[in-house]
Amino acid sequence: MLSKKLTLFQAALLAAALAVVLFPVFWILMTAIKPPTDWNASPAIWMPSQPTLVNFKTLFDPDALKEYGVGGVSQSATKAVFGSLLASITSTALSVLIGLFAAIGISRYGAENKSTPLVILSGRMFPPAAIAVPFVIIFSNIGLTDSYVGLIAIYVAATLPFSTWMLKSFVDDLPREIEEAAMIDGTSRMKAHLTVTIPLIRGGLFATTMFIFILNWSEFMFALVLSYSNVSTIPVQLAKYVTATAGTLYGVQAALAVLAMVPLVIVGYLIQGHLARGMTFGAIKQ
Amino acid sequence: MNPPVATSSDAPDLSPAAPHGGGKPARAKGGNIGLALTLPGQIVSVLVLVIPLLVALYMSFTDWSPTRGSLFDAEFVGFENYSELLIWDTRFLYAVLRTLCISAVCLALEFTFGLSLAVLFMRSFRGKSLLFSAFLTPMMILPVVVGYIFWMLFQSSGPVNQILEFVLGPDVALEWFRSAPLAVTAVIITEVWHWTPLFFLILLSGLNSVPENPVRAAVILGANPRQVFWRVIMPTLKPVIIVAFVIRAMEIIKLFDEVFMLTRGGPGSATETISLYIYKLAFNDFQLAYGAAAAFLVLLGALGLIHLLLMPVRNQLLEVKR
Repeated sequence: MLSKKLTLFQAALLAAALAVVLFPVFWILMTAIKPPTDWNASPAIWMPSQPTLVNFKTLFDPDALKEYGVGGVSQSATKAVFGSLLASITSTALSVLIGLFAAIGISRYGAENKSTPLVILSGRMFPPAAIAVPFVIIFSNIGLTDSYVGLIAIYVAATLPFSTWMLKSFVDDLPREIEEAAMIDGTSRMKAHLTVTIPLIRGGLFATTMFIFILNWSEFMFALVLSYSNVSTIPVQLAKYVTATAGTLYGVQAALAVLAMVPLVIVGYLIQGHLARGMTFGAIKQ
Repeated sequence: MNPPVATSSDAPDLSPAAPHGGGKPARAKGGNIGLALTLPGQIVSVLVLVIPLLVALYMSFTDWSPTRGSLFDAEFVGFENYSELLIWDTRFLYAVLRTLCISAVCLALEFTFGLSLAVLFMRSFRGKSLLFSAFLTPMMILPVVVGYIFWMLFQSSGPVNQILEFVLGPDVALEWFRSAPLAVTAVIITEVWHWTPLFFLILLSGLNSVPENPVRAAVILGANPRQVFWRVIMPTLKPVIIVAFVIRAMEIIKLFDEVFMLTRGGPGSATETISLYIYKLAFNDFQLAYGAAAAFLVLLGALGLIHLLLMPVRNQLLEVKR
């Protein structure tokens, strides 16, 4: 079963599947470089005759955007890009840092709460729309509504199970004899972790950081219900454009979508060997 | 030990034994370090997960809405929200059934396609690693963007209809978002496109770790390829398959982003998922307490469902991750 070659039929199947997988990606890339006259053509134009980058410029130019009747919505995408960067990077750093502590604690000291899996499960399965409701109430009482602090706090909590369990699986892979050797030499436990454990799992640390970044950058629901005018992220901005213009702003929206997805796809390729581990909380290692 | 498996039978042995006998103090010390290390995570979880959940739970027993002042002045109504939901709210019932149906169809398709693709990838061919990356691409794209892409593709003058017309002849232009069955189909296609790669990825890593000896033994004993696949490979793959299903089930039950971008639950409420219904309850109709009650019912149901899914493989699962 292992080394047999593909039959012709199987190769054809594979090619067809590849076409299906890549076509939507091709479509959004092409739409992003269509000049305005091609956007809403009927029948739709597959390849723009005159590729242009004007959509990307329009995206950050409030005056140009107003011509398409989006002035009242939320103007240019500058704030959304800034907001996405701020929220994702900060919350990723915090989530991975806290997760790293917890991972070492659980893997090396068995410091695990028996109810943790249930809490995590519940947290992951509770419809976000409903958990957003108490956040709206709590945040309005402590002045965190429409603030990045509030959004970041939620992102950290939401991704913490992923960072903890993914990192724990990397720490588990590391034989504990290595740390013990350092401890016999007189190093304290904490120092052994700092100088031995953490450097040795740096590959896993990188993969986890990137994975958590993907999760935070993609988040939509919480940003949607907890942002009004101060806070914006790319997914929210994309939804706003679509709502405000009934989607007729094809090229510009596609440009924003491309800006949102390109970093993720690059990061995703970089850590593709660890994606399964991340998605399954470390249950499946590759 | 991983969260989806809520057992603790592989309790990790505690801190490394101290070199000179004194086991007990070292354990205690290790315990303290462990506690200190996990404390920040625990605090964050309690502050940002447990407390809001408790607030939501309390709220679900009141008739609170934002126009009625503080939550703590709200009238306590007992199980009224819950009974209303379970007995009278057909829109909730339909949202639940719809989400379950969409989930079942999506998971079945994603599993079938993912497994077929993974089996093809067990053969040798050129450009395999490049193709592997290409097939993973969809799952790396933001759900909102995926929703937007397919919203464009399914426009009446869009490429999907163009392809249909090319294959089936002119005048088959479908109004994907105006008819209930077509809108549901569009949602399913989008979701299957987005997440088949996850099944492919997990199943391929499972296939790659199937031990070779039993396979060889079966071949020597005269099993044909079909028997080898169904009788030898599939049974060893079972825990991996269940993990994939549990992970995907947890996510698809919350299906929101893609549907929000594609149809907003329309036409009518033809594609309204549980999450979308709760979102509309809370943020369009401001029935926050009622929405919270709905969420807890969903949570209970989902926990039960996942528990059932995991039961047959609990022990195997613990082995597989070793």
